Amino acid sequence: MKRREFIKTSVAITATAGISGLPLLSSGGVDPVSKVTGESPYGITKKGVELIGGMKKFISKQDIVMIKPNIGWNRKVEHAANTNPEVLKAVIEMAFDAGAKKVIVMDNSCHKSEDTYRRSGIKEAVEKSGAEIRFSDENRLVVHPFNGEKLKKWPVFRDHLEVDKFINVPILKHHSSSGLTIGMKNLYGILGGRRGKLHRNMGENIADLANGFKTDLTIVDAYRILTKNGPVGGRLSDVELKKTVICSKNIFEADVVAVDLFGKNIDEIPFIDAGFRRGMGQKDISKINIKTFVI
Amino acid sequence: MISKYPKKKLTRIFFQVVFLVVFFWLLIRTGAAATETFKYSDYFFYFDPLLLIINLFSTHTIINLFLLSLIPLALTMVFGRFFCGWVCPMGTIHHFFSWLFRRGEKKAEEVEHKLMKLKYVILTLILIMALFGTNIGGWLDPFSILTRSTSIAVSPSANYLIEETFKEGAEESGIIAKGLKPAYEFSKKNILPNKPRKYLQSVFIGIIFFLLIAANFYKRRFFCNYLCPLGALYGLFSRFSLLNLDVDKGSCKKCNVCSSDCTYNGSPYQDYMKSECMVCYNCEDSCPPDSINTKFRFPVKGSVNKIDLGRRRITGSLISGIFFASLPRIAGTSKSRTHNFERPPGSVSEVDFLDRCIRCGECMQACPTNFIQPALFEAGIDGLWTPILEPLTGYCEYECNRCTLVCPTNAIETLSLEDKKNFKIGIAVVVKDRCYTYADGYNCAVCEEHCPVPDKAIRFREVDVWNFEGKLVKVKQIYVVPDLCIGCGICENVCPRADAPGIVNSAEEEQREFDY
Repeated sequence: MKRREFIKTSVAITATAGISGLPLLSSGGVDPVSKVTGESPYGITKKGVELIGGMKKFISKQDIVMIKPNIGWNRKVEHAANTNPEVLKAVIEMAFDAGAKKVIVMDNSCHKSEDTYRRSGIKEAVEKSGAEIRFSDENRLVVHPFNGEKLKKWPVFRDHLEVDKFINVPILKHHSSSGLTIGMKNLYGILGGRRGKLHRNMGENIADLANGFKTDLTIVDAYRILTKNGPVGGRLSDVELKKTVICSKNIFEADVVAVDLFGKNIDEIPFIDAGFRRGMGQKDISKINIKTFVI
Repeated sequence: MISKYPKKKLTRIFFQVVFLVVFFWLLIRTGAAATETFKYSDYFFYFDPLLLIINLFSTHTIINLFLLSLIPLALTMVFGRFFCGWVCPMGTIHHFFSWLFRRGEKKAEEVEHKLMKLKYVILTLILIMALFGTNIGGWLDPFSILTRSTSIAVSPSANYLIEETFKEGAEESGIIAKGLKPAYEFSKKNILPNKPRKYLQSVFIGIIFFLLIAANFYKRRFFCNYLCPLGALYGLFSRFSLLNLDVDKGSCKKCNVCSSDCTYNGSPYQDYMKSECMVCYNCEDSCPPDSINTKFRFPVKGSVNKIDLGRRRITGSLISGIFFASLPRIAGTSKSRTHNFERPPGSVSEVDFLDRCIRCGECMQACPTNFIQPALFEAGIDGLWTPILEPLTGYCEYECNRCTLVCPTNAIETLSLEDKKNFKIGIAVVVKDRCYTYADGYNCAVCEEHCPVPDKAIRFREVDVWNFEGKLVKVKQIYVVPDLCIGCGICENVCPRADAPGIVNSAEEEQREFDY
């Protein structure tokens, strides 16, 4: 057994032990989750990333960075169906400040992408920040192995595989079939093909998806949240102001903290349970290292 | 053989190119999905007197903007068929191909006198049928043909070929693709849709357009000279025009040079046919002894050959027009109670719709989601190429009213965005044999997620279902709220079922009137 393989195996064993509840170092204890509340979406995003070590911790010089927001729906920012452009602006700025060579923003929209990109305000914000906004092009799909329990492989836009770093910037909102959509569910946007098929056993599929695809940083936009009729929404009375951003390297734990913020019970959300069984992190919020901050 | 600088001819070509560019610019702009401030893009139609008359006959109303078409009609009384020679983009395209197919050749072609009369017969037929309530003018109107062929066949085809050339991996093998990549990226950003359009009738419409172009091999500007009803209409008026062609018999050497380049395949020096002349100035500019000149004067009786249809042809086309007009009406296909197609939002009642629609395809070009498709026979035989909605290819975007803005004849009436959001084009119906939540007993809800109505026209109810494993499980079954559903079709479009959707949209409960 080579040294590298040995390390791999021992890490795997440790991780398995972590899942089975042994008080070992599971990934949960390692990566802190920041939870910052404040008036400005831009400000809380910057503070949130700073609290978990700053963008330089996640992005190296000359990196090509993919930012994956939720630009799924042809709705305005006040409908809380898409990621807040102000949050994105902060993320793009921080990525460039950390030395990124190129920043790409891209999603596979549910509504017509030309419309969603524009109406969400994201196109304008991204172009102003000097990043590249890109449509998902079906010619660029490649079958990616997720090797999960349910999700074995699925076509993915290769743009997401060809970058150095991947930053996931979901919005926290209600989702009728998966319970909530946060970081893990947001990764649906890297997929092409007939994604609706994945709604059968959705929780398992989401967990496989998030487990089989490496994300470097997750920034949950919970400035405005959609409390009902998600993911598409459209009724202002369903929108609630939480003025919070949650950041973590660990996508699963960011989601757990977001579920708590939303006010739902962890056990109500199938993909949290599925992710926990796959050893993606702690689902007991008291075991997560949360750094709360109010501006 | 050009003896002098063809000044007038070049001016004519300049105008042709300008109008062609404007036409396509407007059309591409109509189709470019990224235009937020969307305005009318169909001005060319308003300058088409044929449509004015047809729609007057079939609907007994005049859309004010169409009065603009009296301008070219009045100008025809002065300049002859200048519209065909100088303005019409369809004509320009045929002109170009006629030239292309004959490069280097200088051969006089014979006028097809009999065939020439065909367009007048067509015009009579169309007008008579319109008068008796069947509007098929759009099938042959040059603007309709060009707009339809471009939006349904030519531009999607170009888009497809471009995508095939530049798609991932292709640029590594092709030098051209590599070199033109920046141009591709520019057009992808500005003109090309993110997802290439698909049209179910593209083959049919594309082949017809191809044949029309190919006919220019046989005769110059075949469509314009022998088929175009608008050309025929202008021909009728141009007889009285003030611009006349004079041949100086003394200096004419009968060299036949003018005949070798005549747009209507005639021989201007011996049989000047005023109703066919498109004022292209080829003869005047090419005549070696300068014997051919145009002059403004009142036409002298008997000085020009005119087309004489003959009583039999006129009576024949009148009677057959009446007969043909009645056939689709009694076929009961288009105007019966049962129908399973939806019309675009803002569409008027079906009877009026068929009377007004000119099958131009502007709405299909404007629809950003590729939802509007030309019908084959879904809407009856006289509903050929009228817009119907096809959830297989698209859905009605909630925040969009573009199709209602572009219809030149108000078959689709203009709706504000707020009105459009409430316009019921139909309703969704759950197909319980196929919907996963009913048939297989597991949660799916893709349709519910996509339903754009803020109060949710698709909802859940939790019920016990015997699932596909034979177990009794709790399933969130979907159901439609008829009062809220507007029939936008996104539920059917996104239904993950691959064979046939588990939820379908139909015109049931549509807002507009259908039967009469």
